[in-house]
Amino acid sequence: MRMKSSPKLRPNIWDGLLAAVMLALAVAGGVLLWTGGGETGDLIAVVSVDGAETERVSLAGLTAPEERTYTHNGYTLHVTFTAESAQVTASDCPTQDCVHTGAITRGGQSIVCLPARLVIQLEGGAADDGSPDLVIG
Amino acid sequence: MRRFGALLAALLLAGTLAACGGQEAREMQTTQIFAMDTVMALRAAGGETEAALQAAEEEIYRLDEELSRTREDSAVSRLNSAPAGTAADVGTELYDLIARALDFSAATDGAFDITLAPVSSAWGFTEDAYRVPAQTELDALLAHVGAEHVHLEGEGSVSLDAGTRIDLGAIAKGYASDRMAEIFQSHGVTHGIVDLGGNTWVCGGNLEGEPWQIGIQDPARESGALAGILQATDAFAVTSGGYQRYFEEDGVTYHHIIDPATGRPAESGLTSVTVVADGTVGNGTMCDALSTALFVMGEERALDLWRSGVYDFDLVLVTADGRLLVTDGIADRFQPDETAGYAYEVVS
Amino acid sequence: MKLSTKQLTLCAVLTAMALALSYLENFFPLSLAIPIPGIKLGLANIVTLSALYALGPGQALLILAARCLLGAVFAGNLNALIFSLLGGVTAMLVMIGLSRVRALSVYGVSVGGAAAHSCGQVAAAVLTLGNTAPLYYLPVLLGVSLFTGALTGLITACLLRALGHTKLWEV
Repeated sequence: MRMKSSPKLRPNIWDGLLAAVMLALAVAGGVLLWTGGGETGDLIAVVSVDGAETERVSLAGLTAPEERTYTHNGYTLHVTFTAESAQVTASDCPTQDCVHTGAITRGGQSIVCLPARLVIQLEGGAADDGSPDLVIG
Repeated sequence: MRRFGALLAALLLAGTLAACGGQEAREMQTTQIFAMDTVMALRAAGGETEAALQAAEEEIYRLDEELSRTREDSAVSRLNSAPAGTAADVGTELYDLIARALDFSAATDGAFDITLAPVSSAWGFTEDAYRVPAQTELDALLAHVGAEHVHLEGEGSVSLDAGTRIDLGAIAKGYASDRMAEIFQSHGVTHGIVDLGGNTWVCGGNLEGEPWQIGIQDPARESGALAGILQATDAFAVTSGGYQRYFEEDGVTYHHIIDPATGRPAESGLTSVTVVADGTVGNGTMCDALSTALFVMGEERALDLWRSGVYDFDLVLVTADGRLLVTDGIADRFQPDETAGYAYEVVS
Repeated sequence: MKLSTKQLTLCAVLTAMALALSYLENFFPLSLAIPIPGIKLGLANIVTLSALYALGPGQALLILAARCLLGAVFAGNLNALIFSLLGGVTAMLVMIGLSRVRALSVYGVSVGGAAAHSCGQVAAAVLTLGNTAPLYYLPVLLGVSLFTGALTGLITACLLRALGHTKLWEV
């Protein structure tokens, strides 16, 4: 005996079949992941006050918009969470920067209210290759 | 087989030792700080990460106390409250910073000005109590505005003319970013992001060895929507834009970047200015000062200063008429965001 | 399993070859054409596949393990070990299974192995990141492994054809 086993060295119809099955699997997987069903990495709103995390709201689980209020440092913020977004709808802070920010919808985005020392940051969501490490301005 | 097993075991051991010796950084450590009227995020890995973040946080609080105009016991407040014309000892750190600020004023024909404080107070930007002041009120205040009202007396002493007040708000965060860079470097931090509310310093790239991706906010769209992305491994970058803080009254929008020439929010045709420079300590202060000044100066004068070579920096400008300009020094590292819809131009 | 000196030497030579091929691969950066982390030609699989046929599963696995370990040590990156091991072992097991299927040629086995390698790497990424985002790469990786698998299959077929009649493999 020379080799442990003597393989076929020319591709045949069965190899083609295997390749075809793989291709079908890849396409099927692609369709499944990239369209509708791609609910990997659920969107989570992380609320932190004074730099310390105080609450995590799982947005994907929300069936209807939900309003929560946060009071800190003498200011009260009304925040509306939906399955896809978070938004400060009203605040009694003087600058209104947090209200101006509008709705945030993607992982990595955040709303900051300086007077209330409150940060709402989104985590997770659909994989976004183009998302930067930080945003300035 | 036994020999092979022994060999594998030895290799495994060697591998483990190599891994320990390498101190390969695996995770970025993060600190969030509320100071200097903004929210700051520090991220670091490699070297003495924890000590670096600790020292950085303490330094931020120290600078906040020293450079704030609203704290009564700060060095800046001591200078502002000293009798007009008398030299006040402000210490070498503040003295040097004021000296640099005066240089920037000279280089930008007064577009950068640390004596604007009474004017921006009149608009309520310092006190978060917005109002539109009358032009006569502004004119009276502008009489005391200008670098010529600040006198360096040498040996850490500075004097101000009557009615003149200084505010380092347009340079303090830049200076703080320089100090952060120094602290990170002295602690051997290999991967870092210092984001002091728009004043950024990055070093070393991410843990996968790729450059950091710095998104530049699109001034016309919601927070997080980008004008473009800049790649950097060792750089300071600072953005100034009227969209950052503003208020509306009677349907008119007033933003917080005041033109020293008029005392009113600058209308230069620019909506956002980003100044980028390499990570040399000192450039953070420069980027901060220039981003404000160039926003006031407008496209043409900004590019003139860039071409003059007085300072070594690059620019990303967004204009009110929908153009996105990038100077050729960073064009190969800049990727405009197509969804922003700007006409993209590389300037040389 | 007891290895003769010749077998041990052969294993060592093949391990070295596999490492050299892994290094050589850096000069054909597939990731430039398709920007996905972890994408590569998988040339080292030529050695694994040849060893599987010529020396059997046991020694092929040994060569694979040694290659992954040494590769990680040379790269100074033990993080990469879990990726290459999980990818490599998954590919190995699938190839052992497929090589028992008489109907399949070297090409089929190689393509199957390449696909399994992709699955293993993505699994490793999901495990280490604790995040399912890398799953998104899998369909593309699978598609690409059709071609890389066929390529390594072709080279392996040529190699086995050329060396099959030598005394190299005799114990």
